[in-house]
Amino acid sequence: MEVSFEKEIQQLRLGAGETFHGEGILAITKGLLESGVSYIGGYQGAPVSHLLDVMVQARELVAELGVHVEACSNEASAAAMLGASIHYPLRGAVTWKSIVGTNVAADALANLASPGVTGGVLMVIGEDYGEGASVVQERTHAYAMKSGLLLFDPRPDLQNMVDMVKHAFRASEASNMPAMMELRIRACHMRGSFVCSSNRKPVISTLKPLAEPADFDYGRLAHPPSTFLHEKLKTEQRIPAARNYILANQLNELRGGRHAGIGIIVQGGVSNALLRALQDFGVADAFGDSEVPLLILNVTYPLVHDQIAAFAADKDAVLVVEEGSPEYIEHEIASVLRRHGLATALHGKDMLPAVGELNPEAMLHGLAQFFARHLPAIDVQPVRSQLEATATRRQQLAVQLGQSEWPAVPAAALPARPPGFCTGCPERPVFSALKLAQRDVGPVHVAADIGCHSFATFEPFSLGHSILGYGMSLASRAGVSPVMRRRTVAIMGDGGFWHNGLLTGVQSALFNGDDAVLLIFKNGYTSATGTQDIISTPGKANKAMAVDKTASLTATDRTIEDTLAGIGVKWLRTVHSYRVSTMRRVLREALTTDFKGLKVIVAEGECQLERQRRIRPWLEALVARGERAVRVKYGVDEDVCNGDHACMRLSGCPTLTLKDNPDPLKVDPVATVNDGCVGCGLCGENAHAATLCPSFYRAEVVRNPRWHERAVDALRSVALRVLRPA
Amino acid sequence: MNKPISLLVCALGGEGGGVLTGWLVEVARHCGHPAQATSIPGVAQRTGATTYFIEVWPQSQAVIGAAKPVFSLSPVPGALDAVIASELLEAARCACNGLPSPERTLFIASDARALTNTERSYPGDGRLDSAALLDIVQSVSRQLHVLDMPAIAREHGTAVSAVMLGAIAGSGLFPFPRAAYEAAVQDSGRSAQASLAGFAAAYAIVAGGERAQREAGARPEPAAPAGATDEMTGHPQDGAPAAVPSMPLPAAISSMPEPVAAIAALGYARTGEYQDRAYGRLYLQRLQRVLDVERATDPEGEHGYEASREVARWLALWMCYDDIARVADLKSRRSRADRVRREARAGPDELLRMHDYFKPGIPEIAALLPGWLAQRVNEWGRKRAAERGEPWALPLKLASHTVSGTLLLRLMASLRLLRRFGSRHAHEQALIDEWLDTLNDSLSADWQLGCEVAACGRLIKGYGSTNERAKDNLLHLLRHVARAALLPLGERAQAVRKGREAALADDAGKALDRVLADTGAAPRQLREQPIRWLPASVRREVK
Repeated sequence: MEVSFEKEIQQLRLGAGETFHGEGILAITKGLLESGVSYIGGYQGAPVSHLLDVMVQARELVAELGVHVEACSNEASAAAMLGASIHYPLRGAVTWKSIVGTNVAADALANLASPGVTGGVLMVIGEDYGEGASVVQERTHAYAMKSGLLLFDPRPDLQNMVDMVKHAFRASEASNMPAMMELRIRACHMRGSFVCSSNRKPVISTLKPLAEPADFDYGRLAHPPSTFLHEKLKTEQRIPAARNYILANQLNELRGGRHAGIGIIVQGGVSNALLRALQDFGVADAFGDSEVPLLILNVTYPLVHDQIAAFAADKDAVLVVEEGSPEYIEHEIASVLRRHGLATALHGKDMLPAVGELNPEAMLHGLAQFFARHLPAIDVQPVRSQLEATATRRQQLAVQLGQSEWPAVPAAALPARPPGFCTGCPERPVFSALKLAQRDVGPVHVAADIGCHSFATFEPFSLGHSILGYGMSLASRAGVSPVMRRRTVAIMGDGGFWHNGLLTGVQSALFNGDDAVLLIFKNGYTSATGTQDIISTPGKANKAMAVDKTASLTATDRTIEDTLAGIGVKWLRTVHSYRVSTMRRVLREALTTDFKGLKVIVAEGECQLERQRRIRPWLEALVARGERAVRVKYGVDEDVCNGDHACMRLSGCPTLTLKDNPDPLKVDPVATVNDGCVGCGLCGENAHAATLCPSFYRAEVVRNPRWHERAVDALRSVALRVLRPA
Repeated sequence: MNKPISLLVCALGGEGGGVLTGWLVEVARHCGHPAQATSIPGVAQRTGATTYFIEVWPQSQAVIGAAKPVFSLSPVPGALDAVIASELLEAARCACNGLPSPERTLFIASDARALTNTERSYPGDGRLDSAALLDIVQSVSRQLHVLDMPAIAREHGTAVSAVMLGAIAGSGLFPFPRAAYEAAVQDSGRSAQASLAGFAAAYAIVAGGERAQREAGARPEPAAPAGATDEMTGHPQDGAPAAVPSMPLPAAISSMPEPVAAIAALGYARTGEYQDRAYGRLYLQRLQRVLDVERATDPEGEHGYEASREVARWLALWMCYDDIARVADLKSRRSRADRVRREARAGPDELLRMHDYFKPGIPEIAALLPGWLAQRVNEWGRKRAAERGEPWALPLKLASHTVSGTLLLRLMASLRLLRRFGSRHAHEQALIDEWLDTLNDSLSADWQLGCEVAACGRLIKGYGSTNERAKDNLLHLLRHVARAALLPLGERAQAVRKGREAALADDAGKALDRVLADTGAAPRQLREQPIRWLPASVRREVK
C-alpha cells in the first residue's frame, strides 16, 4: 500500500512515562508491544485494519524487538498461527474483523481452545456491530462460550484498554484459555491518550529462537481421546482459574453508590453510554461517579458467579445492560441468581432494545423504565420529556418530508448515500459492461461477494442476488446454475480469490465440471479493507521502473492467471477493465459459448486509490520541475446533452453529476463533469459501448508544452479561426 | 459547566473528516482541555456518508485537577451542542435523525449539494429541493450558519476539512483562541498555507455572521418571459449555438398572448437556426393551430394558455432533434472550444486537446437517406445485428482540436442541407403531426386533456435507442390512453398525466407498465429478447 504510517510508528516507540496520543486500535497495538509478544498476525478488516497495517510497515521496530509479523491469507490462517503458543511459552496476538472473521477462524479456534495454551494468546476482534457496520449482525460472545475463550470487553478509555491487553495475556497464561478482546467500531477509532510503559522484548523471539522443538505430548493434540480430557479441563480447571484471576486483579469494576437497593451490570464496552445516560437522570457526575451501584464487566466471559451473586445479594433489582441478541449474559446471571436462591428482580432486554447499538438514547429509554419501577426517588419526567420532544421532532420532520414533492424519492424519506466506487475506480466499468451484456443475453443471476465490488449492489447498478461470504460467490451459485435457463455470473475480487475463493469456488467448480462464469476483479490489493498488499500485488520494482506512473500496473503480475491455468481452467480471458465494449463482448461470449466448463474472466485494472497516491506527487513534481505534464478531464457539451441521464445509470461516478440546464427552452438538468474528474476514461468508453448521446468529450491539458507543440498549436489556431463559426 | 461540549461532524468520505477531528483533538490538547473524538468512517474514502463525534471539556485540566471526565462515544438526541455538515442533504439527514434540537444546537451547514445516485439516475429532474432541505435544517437549529464549504475549499485550493475547522473556530463553540486552531493546521505539512487560507475564509463568514456568497445564481426559470427577453435567440448565454440576429420576429409571434409569445420567439429562433427560415415558419404555423384551438376552448384565456405554452416549448425541441449534422455543428463552434477550455481549467500557457466521442450506426446514416433506401439499409443492419449479436456502428474518437478533425465536423454539419430529404425528417414530422392532431382533438374536447397531451412533449428526448423508446412511449400514450374510447373522457386527462409521469420515472418502463395496467389501457408491446444460449437439457427438450 502507498499510505505511510510513519507518524503512528513513532508513537509505538514511546518509552515509560511518555504519553501516547492517538486512536484506540493503535493504543492496543502499543499494548501488545508492551506485553512482550513474540508474534503478531491477522487478517485486515475494518475497524481493526490499522493494527496489522502499522505492524507490517514497522519493519525496523519489529526487527529490533525480535517480533515476527505475519499478514495472514485469511482469519483461519491467523487463528492457526496461535498454535505456536500451545507448546511454547510464547505470547502471540492476532487480529480480525468479527463476526465474519471469527466464523472463518472457527475451525482453528476450536482446535486451539481444546488443548489450551501455555503462552498468553490474545485475539483483537473488531466487533463490527451497530451503526457503520458492514457485516451480518451477530455477537462474537457465542464463540467465547462455546469454545471456552476469555472475552474482554474493556471500558472505552485508552488507559483501561491498554491495561486490559496486559491482563489478557496474564489471564490467558493463568487459565490456559486463549483470550479475545472485542473492540467496537467507535472504540477502535476513539482518539485519546494514555501513559506508556517501555516495549518489552519477548523472551523467545526471532532474535532468541528456540533450540529444540517441544517433547512429544499427545495431551496437547486436539485429537481423541485427549479432547475428552480437554473438555473436562475447561470446566474444572481453566474457567475457575480465569475467574480467580479476574477477581484477584479486580478486572471488573465496582462503583458507587448511595442508591444501594438497585444495581446495574454493564458490559465495559458500552459503559460510557450508560454513564452519560445516568448523568441525565442526575445520578452520576461527568467524571463517572455514580449514585447507582455499577458492576462494569471488562471481562464478559467467563462471568465470575460469586461476584455477581454478591453484587445482587442485597438489592431489590438489577438491570443488565447488554448489547445485541441473544442476551447471553442476562441468561447466565438469571441462573446465577436462581442457584444462589436470590429473589433480586432481574431486568435487561425487557427494558432495553433487543437489537442495535446501545447508544445513550436507548439507555435513557431503558433506565427511565427501570428507575420508574424500582427507584421512585428519581424523577424520570425531565428525561421522558426530552425523549418525547425528540420523538415529536422526528415525526414532524417525517411529515414535512412526506409533503415534499420529490419525483425520484419516495415521500417521507431522504435518499440514502451508501458508499460507492471511488472516482476512477477500475471496477465501475466492469459493471457498466455487465449491465450492457445483460441487454444482449437477457438478465442473469449474479452471485455477489464481499469487497469493493459489492458496491455494485447499490444504485445505479443494483446488481447481485446473494452474498454468502468472502470469496464464496462462485460456490454460492453451484445450486443455482443447474436449474437456470441462462448462465449465472459470479463476482469475486482478488482479495476474496486469495482469501478462499480459489479453493471453495474454483477448485470445486472444476472438480464437479460445473458450467459457470467467474468474473475476477484484479485490482492488485484487498482494497475494501484499506488496500493491503496480497500475493498478486504489482511488485515494488515494477512500480519503480514504470516510466509512465499513471499506468495501471496490475498487468505486470500474472499470479492469478498462472494459478488458474495451473489448476486446470481452460477458458480464461484477461480484459483490461476499462475496455467496456470488449468486456461486454467477452461477457456475452462467456454467457453463450458452447464451452461447458468453468469460464473465468479476469478484469484487470489497478486500484485507483493506490494509483492516485502514486500519480499525484509524480505529476506535481513534473510541473514543479517545469517538465511536460498532461492532465486529462472529461466533460459534457451542455447543448448536446439532452438530460435523460442514461450515462448516469451506467456509471454512478461521483464526478459525473447534474447542473441546471442553461438552455431556457429545456427544463431537465444536464450532465456535467466536476473538477474531481481524474480522467479515467469511463465516460468515453460508455459513450461508445452503450451508444450514448455524443455529448462527451475528453480534454487533455498540456502543461509546459515543448516548443514544437507550441508551434503546431499556433498554426492550428490560425486555421481554426477561419474554419469554426462563432 | 458539568457537561462536555459536544460536536457532531457530518461529512462525505474523502473530505478529510478524520483530519478535522485530529486537528480538533490537537487544539484541545494544546489548550489543556480534556477531549475525545471518535468516528464511524465505514468505508470512508468511497464517498458514502460518514460521521465524527467530538466532546471537549469546557474547563482545562488545570482547573479540574486530576479528575478525568467520561466522554460519550455517540451523541445524545436533543443534547447536542453543535453540528457541522459539509453537504446539505447530510445536514437534513442529521436533522431528521432527531439529534439536533432548536433549543440547544448550533448548526453550521453547507448549502452545497453532492447529488445522490438516486437523484442523478432519474430520467427527468430528480433533484431534491435545496430550499426545503434548508428549511428542515433551520427548524432544528438554535442558530444556523450557512456557507458553501466546497466552493470555499476550491477557491483556496484546500480540502473541505480546513474550511470546516475555520467555521467551527469562527462559531466560538469551543473556548479556544483562533491562534490555537491555526497552530494545529500549521503543523500539518506542506499544504498548510492553502489550508490556512480556507480556514480564514470560513472563519470570517461564520464569525462575522455573514452568509457566503453563492456561486451559482438561482435556477433559471425556463418559462419566465421576463428572463427570456435578452435571450431571444434561445441559446444559453454561454452561447454555444450562434445567435441569429438577422431574423426579425414575425408578426405571428407578436399577436400571440404574452406568455406564449416569449417561448415562441425562442422556438422560432431555434428552429430557424437549426434548419432554415421556412422551418421556423412551419414551427409557428403548428403552434398557431394549437393556440387557435385553445382559444376556441378557453376564449378568456383563464388557464393562461398553458397548453400552447407547453407546445411552444416541446415542439421547438422536438423539431430540433439531434442528428449527426446538428451535433457536429454544435461541436465545431468557436464558443464551444472556449467553453471546453474554461471547463478543463486550462491556463493561457497550456495547450488544450479535445477528443469527441461519436458512434454513428446504421440508423444515423439511414436517417439522411431517402425513405426507400433507408428502409433497405436499416433492414440490412437489423439482419447483420441478429447474426453478429450486435449492430454495426463506427466508434470514432475525433480530435476536434486539429484542422482535419474540425474540417470533418464542418463537413458533417453541412449535411444539414440534406436533412429535409432524409427518412428521419419525414418520420419525425409524421410523429409530430400525430402528436399535434391528437392534441388539437383533445383540446377541443377537454382543455385539461389537451394540456396533458401537450405536456407529453417532454417525453421526447434521448439519443438512439433511448429516443426510439421515448417516441414509442409517447405514441402509446396518444393512441391507447388519450384516444382510448374505453376510458370516459373525464378520466383521460388524469390517466395521461399519470402515464407521462411514469414514463419519466424509469427508463425500463416498469412504472409505465403498472400505470397502463391500472388504467386498463392496452399494454406496451413486449421487447424481444433473443435466446442466445440454453442448457443442454433444455436444448434436447426443445428439439
